Amino acid sequence: MSTIVALSTPRGRGALGVVRLSGPEALRIANQLTGSIAEFEPKRVTLAKLLERDGAVIDEMLVTYFKAPHSLTGEDVIEFSCHGSPAVLRKLIDLTLSLGAQLAGPGEFTLRALANGKVNLAQAEAIRDLISAQTEAAAKQAALQLNGELSRALEPLKQQLVDVIVVLESALEFVEDDLPAPQLERLDQELGLVQAKTEELAASYRMGHLLQDGLKVAIAGSPNVGKSSLFNKLVERDRAIVTELPGTTRDTLSETIDVDGIPIVLTDTAGVRPTADGIEQLGIERTQSAITEADMVLVVLDGSCALRDEDRDILQRTASTRRMIVLNKADLPSFGTGNGQLPAGLKVSAMTGEGLDSVRAAILTSFDTATPESGSLLVTNARHHDLLLRVGAELVEGRAELKSGRSEEVVLVPLHNALRLLGEITGETTTEDILSEIFATFCIGK
Amino acid sequence: MAFDEIFAVIVIGAGHAGCEAASAAARLGANTALITLNLDLIGQMSCNPAIGGIAKGHLVREIDALGGIMGRVIDRTGIQFRLLNRSRGPAVQSPRAQADRSLYRREMRRTLEQTPNLQLRQGKVVDLVVHNHKVVGVEMEDGRRFGTSAVVMATGTFLNGLVHTGRRTYSAGRAGEPASIELSESLKRLGFPVGRLKTGTPPRLDGRTIDWSAFEPQPGDEKPVPFSFATERLEQEQIKCYVGYTTSEVHEAIRANLAESPLYSGKISGIGPRYCPSIEDKVVKFADKSRHQLFLEPEGHDTNEVYLNGFSTSLPAELQQDLVRMVPGLEEAQIIRPGYAIEYDFVDPRELTPDLQTTRVAGLFHAGQINGTTGYEEAGCQGLVAGINAAQFVAGREAFRLQREESYIGVLVDDLIKQGVDEPYRIFTSRAEHRLALRYDNADARLEKYGRDLGLVGDSDWERFNARQDRLAKLRDALDSCRLRRADAAYAAMSSLLDADLGDQISLAQLAKRPAVTSELIRSLLPSDVKSLASESDLKSALADSLYAGYLASQEATLGRIYQHDSLRIPKGIVFASISGLSNEVVERLNRAQPQTFGDARRLPGLTPASLSTLLVYLTLRQKAAA
Repeated sequence: MSTIVALSTPRGRGALGVVRLSGPEALRIANQLTGSIAEFEPKRVTLAKLLERDGAVIDEMLVTYFKAPHSLTGEDVIEFSCHGSPAVLRKLIDLTLSLGAQLAGPGEFTLRALANGKVNLAQAEAIRDLISAQTEAAAKQAALQLNGELSRALEPLKQQLVDVIVVLESALEFVEDDLPAPQLERLDQELGLVQAKTEELAASYRMGHLLQDGLKVAIAGSPNVGKSSLFNKLVERDRAIVTELPGTTRDTLSETIDVDGIPIVLTDTAGVRPTADGIEQLGIERTQSAITEADMVLVVLDGSCALRDEDRDILQRTASTRRMIVLNKADLPSFGTGNGQLPAGLKVSAMTGEGLDSVRAAILTSFDTATPESGSLLVTNARHHDLLLRVGAELVEGRAELKSGRSEEVVLVPLHNALRLLGEITGETTTEDILSEIFATFCIGK
Repeated sequence: MAFDEIFAVIVIGAGHAGCEAASAAARLGANTALITLNLDLIGQMSCNPAIGGIAKGHLVREIDALGGIMGRVIDRTGIQFRLLNRSRGPAVQSPRAQADRSLYRREMRRTLEQTPNLQLRQGKVVDLVVHNHKVVGVEMEDGRRFGTSAVVMATGTFLNGLVHTGRRTYSAGRAGEPASIELSESLKRLGFPVGRLKTGTPPRLDGRTIDWSAFEPQPGDEKPVPFSFATERLEQEQIKCYVGYTTSEVHEAIRANLAESPLYSGKISGIGPRYCPSIEDKVVKFADKSRHQLFLEPEGHDTNEVYLNGFSTSLPAELQQDLVRMVPGLEEAQIIRPGYAIEYDFVDPRELTPDLQTTRVAGLFHAGQINGTTGYEEAGCQGLVAGINAAQFVAGREAFRLQREESYIGVLVDDLIKQGVDEPYRIFTSRAEHRLALRYDNADARLEKYGRDLGLVGDSDWERFNARQDRLAKLRDALDSCRLRRADAAYAAMSSLLDADLGDQISLAQLAKRPAVTSELIRSLLPSDVKSLASESDLKSALADSLYAGYLASQEATLGRIYQHDSLRIPKGIVFASISGLSNEVVERLNRAQPQTFGDARRLPGLTPASLSTLLVYLTLRQKAAA
């Protein structure tokens, strides 16, 4: 097994940079890098010097040693925490490579963790979510799932389902044994409980996926109504932890803000400028696509003057989308003195910040989102959501078959389907597991 | 090397695995020897005198469809037949029969003696002769040496068998028969990983000393369902079995004497089957149960011996006698053979290929309890697979394999070679993902063609099979095309009977899916030409096909989802060792098998779920990187 190395913090200059090393040679490489005579102790942070091959000191760094199997990957892992200069980090990685490490491929740390049974598939997915989390609340959710919270929450449901399966399977397999007859009503009740909880978890996805993926809000309006000031003001206070969305091209006019834990991707659309040839075509297209992609549009109007043609144009174009009208420039004395044609809207001042809180609140209330309670589990992953919906549907079918008096082998088809689907999140329940339950529950055998 | 005799295939052991193996190999044209310790005990039922039961009956039907002999022999010697689970759906119904134990033995020997190419030899094999990892012969205790190209080991509980009753232990293959100690040593020398299992058997009673009136009679079916598709009627006079119960007094006495039990005193290290627990186990593990069921099963027409099913024990013989007499109705009962427990060696079946050949020694096949299974039917089907493949092997023909999707035999073999065993393995319907498709009544449709292609299904059987398939096709046609319409007299009758509106018209197949509609009812609605053509069992098969169609589709969809990555290609020239996280053992298995797709890899023995996830993630990442 090779020893792999990778930069674990984002590329570029930062206060700190972390390089991670995993594999059987990790400890030896760390010792050689630091000229260390004193052994690194597991789970201890040690201050050490990063040495050039000739012994020259490159940097000082903190070294943490995680001894196998008590580490992220299940192998010996060393974490180097040094100053975040790209040159130092590059040097550190080059040195580990010269000492026998190999550059990790994409996802290779997670792969090893998976292979060594340190994480299950759901947890591996949570790692990915954690890395791309935009807000603290989203990061907390990912961390919960990394800790196996979703699997843990599903485990009792799975157990209840297995209990029902065990009763029905036993009735089929051990017809000559003196077993109590299955009580169909009780089984139906148990399945009903599992179904309700599954559906409840599935329903939390609405919130969960908001946390993970965020809401897209476009700011639209005529030139000089104060769109950019509003944009800047909102971004200034609430900028999210990470501003770069993985997998998307960075748009200079987009920023992610954190509103009560929900990441909101704000886009300042290009002003629609009238030119000598009329209206600029490119600007219209960009604005239109931003409006189409957005979950919601903030239509900004200048509250200090009367409605203009451009304003009417914007209002018309956003009429069928989810939108919120914002009347800006509340700080001006002329605010509200227009000729009464202005539509109703939230009164704000991008200059003073007045009314911004009500804008934030209105964005969330229009999506009917409660602030996520810290610690409560939400389904954040589309695959999990889909699986839970399918589980719910299978349980509905199983209960219907049970009630209609079908033979057990038929009722068991949707129940086994449900169990297999749950198993895709929590790990498989084998036939052996079910048989073990049967033998532990009933006295079987002539 | 000089051999006294040369055979193409040698089968060691003439139990249920050995008999099927020898019969199949010989009928496939291989000059075959069946070696047994005692020619008079061929096909002996060491434990209860019964064949079949849920899932086990399915196995016998599959053996029969492939051209095996177990189904025909039990049909000729069975003295009580019952179709189990009659109140449930057709997929989980299964035939079971009590055998006349000595008749079964005689009939099995007669069948084998009439088989061309098959020689019976009595004696004890003490060593396998292996050259360059290939089996070339066997050595007998009496000094004879037989040359061969293939050996089927079907040694049952005889490998290093050790019998326990109370504190007494003695070496034996079954009570009163010698164990095979040297052969077990021979396997260990060849490097096979050998483990220890345990099984047990109850005491046999003298029927003349039983108060039968204290037990509830359990008759066989009025219309018995035979095992073999070829059997038209049963020959033996049918008998009743009897059901009774233990009492808490018996349980108390057992608990008070646990120190006498080798199971609880620590003398037995082998692991026993959980579904066949001893009476000691039952009263300890289910202490709250006030009674346990007992079955009195007469062993045959010409004997007084009665099998006390449910009372398997290894307590001292004299204590067994006392305990039996505490059971209501058995106050005067005399034990004529005490129960006992037996420990024996088995070889890790993960050593085997799907054709039941060992990967360690070419030409060596293992079948039955040596693979860690329990049960005559489980043994029989492995014997059949091993016997077929031994013959295929010596003739240089392609190996014969069955899939999980098409047979319980495929499920059993796949479970054995992939999962291995930690207790004696028994078949259950729940082990089959495709349970609804694997019915006892459609084993012929599923497998008979394989038997024919191999050469095990003769002309008359093949004709019978095709005639039945033709009848079924006509029946299915009629069920779909015959419709009740509102104007029909039968429609009104049916609608009021079911208390439901049936739409403007309804086909007989749709009508049959309603729980209250019996096959007799459907039969009465069939056109008379079809009615006269099809038997009751034909109609049931045709109805079962349509009953399950929808469920099968939904299940296939879920299974398809779970196995959706099966078609993911594994690139040529992949270096498995370079995949992070795979253990050396897994890498070695992948290298040996060189799977082409993820599905191939998933089916390989010895690959853990974690290593499969790893492989899957690796392949997916690689695919993404390539895109």
